[in-house]
Amino acid sequence: MSSFNSLLEGFASALTLSNLGFGLLGTFLGTLVGVLPGIGPALAIALLLPITYTVSPASALIMFAAIYYGAMYGGSTTSILLNTPGESGSVMTALEGNKMARKGRAGAALATAAIGSFIAGTIATAILAFTAPSIADLAIKVGAADYVALMLLAFTTVSSLLGSSAIRGFIALAVGLVLGLVGADLQSGLARLTFGNMSAIEGIETVPVIVAIFALGEALYIASRFKKEGWNILPMKGKALMTRDDWKRSWKPWIRGTAIGFPLGVIPAGGSEVPTFLSYAVEKNLTKHPEEFGDGAIEGVAGPEAANNANAAGALVPLLALGLPTSATAAVILVAFQTYQIQPGPTLFLTDGALVWTLIASLFIGNALLLILNLPLVRLWVQLLKVPRPYLFAGIVTFALLGSYALNTSTFDVQVAIAIGVVGFLFRRYGMPITPLILGLILGPNLELQFRRALQISAGDYGTLVASPLSKVIYLVLFLVLVGPLVWNFKKKLALKK
Amino acid sequence: MKLPQGAKSELTFVGSLFALGLLVFWDTARSEPPAFNLTISPKVFPYAVALFLMGLSAFQIIKILRGDVATPEGLNPGDPIEKSDYKNFVLVLASLFAFLLLIERAGFIVAASVTFFGITVAFDNKKPLRAALFGFIFVVAIYIFFTQFLNVALPAGIFKGFV
Repeated sequence: MSSFNSLLEGFASALTLSNLGFGLLGTFLGTLVGVLPGIGPALAIALLLPITYTVSPASALIMFAAIYYGAMYGGSTTSILLNTPGESGSVMTALEGNKMARKGRAGAALATAAIGSFIAGTIATAILAFTAPSIADLAIKVGAADYVALMLLAFTTVSSLLGSSAIRGFIALAVGLVLGLVGADLQSGLARLTFGNMSAIEGIETVPVIVAIFALGEALYIASRFKKEGWNILPMKGKALMTRDDWKRSWKPWIRGTAIGFPLGVIPAGGSEVPTFLSYAVEKNLTKHPEEFGDGAIEGVAGPEAANNANAAGALVPLLALGLPTSATAAVILVAFQTYQIQPGPTLFLTDGALVWTLIASLFIGNALLLILNLPLVRLWVQLLKVPRPYLFAGIVTFALLGSYALNTSTFDVQVAIAIGVVGFLFRRYGMPITPLILGLILGPNLELQFRRALQISAGDYGTLVASPLSKVIYLVLFLVLVGPLVWNFKKKLALKK
Repeated sequence: MKLPQGAKSELTFVGSLFALGLLVFWDTARSEPPAFNLTISPKVFPYAVALFLMGLSAFQIIKILRGDVATPEGLNPGDPIEKSDYKNFVLVLASLFAFLLLIERAGFIVAASVTFFGITVAFDNKKPLRAALFGFIFVVAIYIFFTQFLNVALPAGIFKGFV
């Protein structure tokens, strides 16, 4: 069956009255949580995961897709009106969008962000729908050794591109790999790092780790350092509408942002930071109004917002086709799939084809619902920004603990969450990025599995790890990612000396 | 040798990560793999992870001693690093432990209400009575939503039969 027909079936499955109801609820809740200051899409999705625990997989996926887009949209509202980006991908939106809001143009900034996100999300999801199955077809031919190389590349790019230094990123990754080791080895049954605790035999659940490292870590960090700092909410005048000139200045940045964001999501380029910065730089170079940049240029909101959303959809390609998350948000989505007993990877389209096409159709529907629902409701979301900080953090912590406990109704998961919350605090205090830890925890066991599989096939010959042409190319790219910045810095130092 | 501000505490943190690597190494060394023949021992990967973490931590310790001190999240490089307010840190942590201790003894509503109140205190809320009341109503609403509408099992505890 062609992708188009499968997609139509996905729409047929998604467009029932009850599923649309779940979609609306997801959009509402996703925006509600995403709009809260300091909460990025990854945490918003993780906090709302318990809501989908007991719903049927198809309804859960629809709700989940709506939560996903809602959280992304909510984040841009906070960036524009409050200048507190919940994730690195919204930094550029905050830069220009907040300046626009200061000039009384918050409505136009919110509208270009929402419409740009919708257009980018729709185009990117369409490309995803027609490319992911082909990539999955190719991926079936990818061997275990190639997977090892791909995962090492994902680890390297994410660890070296995020945070203040590559070494701190790699330390964060190593801590994630240690967490992934806990429990019984799947092949031999050997207990690792359990120290006699029977609850630890099944390993550490990823949901408590994700909610704790984001939510509890943030609460501990803010309480101990920034609790006295307030937020300066900018008033929003009029409606979220754009003038004819705003449209004229926005449509090209939307398209360019999509073109930059999508491919950089497909390759593991460390999340949405690089594409949004790149899109901002491109718009700054191409604009006819350079004097407005840094002072509230609409192109500086339109481009990066489109890049951010297209990047998020692009990251779903390696996630669905290869089972490889390349950002914190993608990692949370992987965990969500696993809670619905779906394992992303090359065989996903064969084993759970109907569900995946429902998800892809849901992404289109969630995106459209968002635009229909949220532009008129923007004033309601603005009110949410006024939630006092003590109540905000108390609510976030309550949800995080609820999510940790409700997964298995187990206090062991709560213990893990508290311990990881302290780790999250320490990581923030010592400038270590969090995403590599999450990737290490999620992909570590998979890396070991593929590593051992490759060596079992080759009867223990380590040469098999670099034998295929694909793995050779990947290791070459990996080498360039590692050595490139060193050479660049060395050249810069030499130039400075001269 | 005079260390820059924040270096000592970072050395302690990175030193503890080195110790974590040692712990993984020790745990792997003392474990007995099953007798059946495996091409690749289940010890290979944990050893690699332990050495990776120890090597990176040792390298970072050297970098800290040479002056590369971390910038806490939310600050710019070179900003003065204020000391953490550990009173509030302990208050948040105590609120988290209260949830752990109470959830299966007194039920979700009591555990989450106590945690909610504790967090508002840590964040300098000036109206404790209002926070306690709001927290209780909020938690009861969440409890009803999750147990009645989403069928998520949460312990009722002392409120069994009431909610």
